[in-house]
Amino acid sequence: MNTSFLLFALLNPAFALLAAPLYMALIRKVKAYAQGRKGPKLFQVYYDLRKLMHKEAVYSPTSSWVMRLTPCLNLTALLACSLFVPLIFVPEPAGGFGNVIVFLYLLALERFFTALSGLDAGSAFGGMGSSRSMSLAAVIEPTMVVAFAALAFVLKSLNLHEMFALTAGSLLPASPTLVLVSISLFIILIVETGRLPVDNPATHLELTMINEAMILEQTGKNLALLELAHAIKQLLLMGVLINTILPIGLSAEADAGKIAVSALLFLLKAGVLAVVIGLFESALAKMRLFRLPAFYMMAFFFSALTILIEVFA
Amino acid sequence: MLEALAYGAVFALVSGTVLPLLYRSKNARQASFGLSLISSVLLLGFAGTVLYTGKEPSFPAFGFLPGLDFTLAADRLTAGFVLLIAAVLPGVSIYSLEYTEHAKSEARKALQAALTSLFVLAMLLVVLAGNMVGFLIFWEIMSLSSLLLVLHDYSSEENKKAGFFYFVMTNISTTFLFLGFISLYRLTGSAEFGPLEYPAGALTLPFLCLFIGFGVKAGLVPFHKWLPYAHPAAPSNISALMSGVMLKVAIYGFLRFLLAAASPELWWGVLILIAGSLSALFGVIYALKESDIKRLLAYSSIENIGIIFIGIGLYVIFRVEGLETLALMSLAGACFHAFNHALFKSLLFLCAGSVVHATGTRNIEAFGGLVKTMPATSALFLIGSVSIAALPPANGFAGELLLYQAFFQASALSANPLLTVFMVIALSSFALTGALAAALFVKLFGITCLALPRSEESRLAEEVEKPMLFGPAVPAVLCILTGIFSKQILSLAGWDIEFPDLLLLGLLLAFIYAALFLAVRAKTEIPDRISETWGCGFPALTPSTEYSSAGFSEPLVMIFKSIYRTRIVHRPEYFDGQESLFKNGHVEIRLLRFFEEYLYIPPALAIDSLSKRVAKLQNGKLDSYVLYAFLAVLTLIIATGVLV
Repeated sequence: MNTSFLLFALLNPAFALLAAPLYMALIRKVKAYAQGRKGPKLFQVYYDLRKLMHKEAVYSPTSSWVMRLTPCLNLTALLACSLFVPLIFVPEPAGGFGNVIVFLYLLALERFFTALSGLDAGSAFGGMGSSRSMSLAAVIEPTMVVAFAALAFVLKSLNLHEMFALTAGSLLPASPTLVLVSISLFIILIVETGRLPVDNPATHLELTMINEAMILEQTGKNLALLELAHAIKQLLLMGVLINTILPIGLSAEADAGKIAVSALLFLLKAGVLAVVIGLFESALAKMRLFRLPAFYMMAFFFSALTILIEVFA
Repeated sequence: MLEALAYGAVFALVSGTVLPLLYRSKNARQASFGLSLISSVLLLGFAGTVLYTGKEPSFPAFGFLPGLDFTLAADRLTAGFVLLIAAVLPGVSIYSLEYTEHAKSEARKALQAALTSLFVLAMLLVVLAGNMVGFLIFWEIMSLSSLLLVLHDYSSEENKKAGFFYFVMTNISTTFLFLGFISLYRLTGSAEFGPLEYPAGALTLPFLCLFIGFGVKAGLVPFHKWLPYAHPAAPSNISALMSGVMLKVAIYGFLRFLLAAASPELWWGVLILIAGSLSALFGVIYALKESDIKRLLAYSSIENIGIIFIGIGLYVIFRVEGLETLALMSLAGACFHAFNHALFKSLLFLCAGSVVHATGTRNIEAFGGLVKTMPATSALFLIGSVSIAALPPANGFAGELLLYQAFFQASALSANPLLTVFMVIALSSFALTGALAAALFVKLFGITCLALPRSEESRLAEEVEKPMLFGPAVPAVLCILTGIFSKQILSLAGWDIEFPDLLLLGLLLAFIYAALFLAVRAKTEIPDRISETWGCGFPALTPSTEYSSAGFSEPLVMIFKSIYRTRIVHRPEYFDGQESLFKNGHVEIRLLRFFEEYLYIPPALAIDSLSKRVAKLQNGKLDSYVLYAFLAVLTLIIATGVLV
């Protein structure tokens, strides 16, 4: 363990925890503007989380310890994930943190337990949510793995820290093929965070819900933990995309001034990305469930194309 | 000293076989399983020493037939698989203490106990065999003892069919092994497992024969159909041994050949990788549709065997391409996954045995709510599910991580672009398999253990007796430990591979969880409440409104509907020849059993009609038999005259 990594281990999760809810709100705001509404305040998600934290948890009599275990476990997995994606500066790698595959499977851990807790209460909604979520996750998984394999391929490392140390500081992506990977990463971001056209985070209709259906039974502080975990997941995937396509300003040194600049620039870049996501969501309608594999194939195509170009170039 | 450990283990297992047959009492059976436990401790010492120090024990050769000696031998590969046996055995033995007592009659209890020890002994000796003769002899004993165990409940028609299926398949496997070993013997002139230094092409026939022979036994697609038949028929402790250990013995045999071959060829690796990927994918896809808990686990074994073969295929490809580090990583991944699968699959089969015992059915649709009625079994079941779904930091993840790392670095193959493209396809199919397995085990655990009981049996299920909890607890603890200490284990085994430290990750996860849990609890002002939640507008939540197993996998069935082909069969009968007066009929809609209907049945029918024609020779007349004998002698004389 080096000091650079220890500093990172303290700052990066804290930054992720604090900044994540902001972008949930920002996307909502953008969508509201696009629909001609004013939308909630930028800090509304923070207020909501605080309100939920003060509320009691209500459990269905059919539910078991699986449901009680899941909220903390999910946030744990995502906080551990936040050690894998450099948001404010790139540390020297240590202890295998940053390994792409471990990162992907920590996300799988979160999904697994969310799906189980969806089944736990025995309501048809929860079961439907976990069934759909696991099915779609299975179909997107090859795309995710191949996209990250393409990233590893282009940046010649298995470690996200080492990858982004290579791109850090430069204005443009390290290789033109990274633009192609970025398209895949954007689609993965949309899919994994349950946004349109895959899932609609704003409705509670049985026909459209996936992620919301699974956590429908969760209440109070548990819901707050799950929402926070979801927000961090979104921020981390945004971080991967931003570091790939627009690494400008990302510091590779643990220097206070540089970290501050890096963090501010990240907040700004993530803000732009959140606006893009909001507009993207507003422009599209929800796709039929069984049309989604075709949408995923598009992301798969761009990642596979990257590898092909790298191989034959 | 080392030799004494191995002999001690063999002796314990031999006594474990004989004892329950001599004395038909509960004590004798308990003693038999106790002896298995002792032998597993001895084997642990033996295998650990060989693996760690690399010291190879020397066993004296027994003259068996003139020119054919029978020896035992152990190198590090052997030790790895002996360790696997030693790791699975304790859990199964403790579980069997109680489980065997549920058999129908005294004779069956005694037979089951004796055959279990014999089965383990045979598997151990296959792995320890120093040459082909011993290998084949114990291979047959292993196959036959497991056949008898599959036929344990021989009165049911379904089990008889399963036993027959298994018998045919295992004989096909042995036939190909004989062919493979004979062709090797012709090449080398020796029955030893020596290094095979031959130019490319010379080993084609032995490779193909051994690949099919071991592939059938390991359950590789398309030779896999015996697994989903044999596992539901066999008692659960035997399923645990068969799936956990016997399939790995086949892997061991295949690896022994591949590691000995000095110059494997690229197409071997590609063939193994394709077969592995298809097995993994088809295994999990068929498992998703299955609602018989033991058959589902059998399909999942096919999937995991596929993953092990993917590792072996990668090893061959990287070795041929001269990438030693990646080859080592893939081989370590294959071996480690074999070991891990032995642990979590035996755990899952033992838990399934407990669930089936408590509810009296194997149908997942009838389970539910077991987390309340059988809390300890459910917790163990969850550990198994988390491990097999390859979630960090359990052991299933550690093995797959090695394979992913090898795949991700396939860019090193840049000298051969087409091969890299092939690797990308294999990688995406591997990733799909992994995610489908996660979906499968969410379904299995979620439908079996969570929500409301879906049947009266499940509602009234009671937690099983202590030995049936302590038994699976052993592999459960090992699953977690081998996952967390995977880096340390790999370096102890002498594999210096770049690998993230899962111990650190595990500690970190535990620390964050504890901190979050305490923080949330400290902040809680109003205590938790248990109350009715939204029941989708139904007046009361009943099991019939819950998601079922078939419902859960429906989206995936829709997505992969080109693989799950349904077949509609009409068989109407009429009173008259014009087919106008309907008499009776049979209609069924079922899943197309592709491999059976297109691959297994046609050759079986051909053999059947051929044997019917041959049977005509047997007409019962003495004079024609004399004629046959005369013709046979005549042919023989002419043949020797022409050939010599």
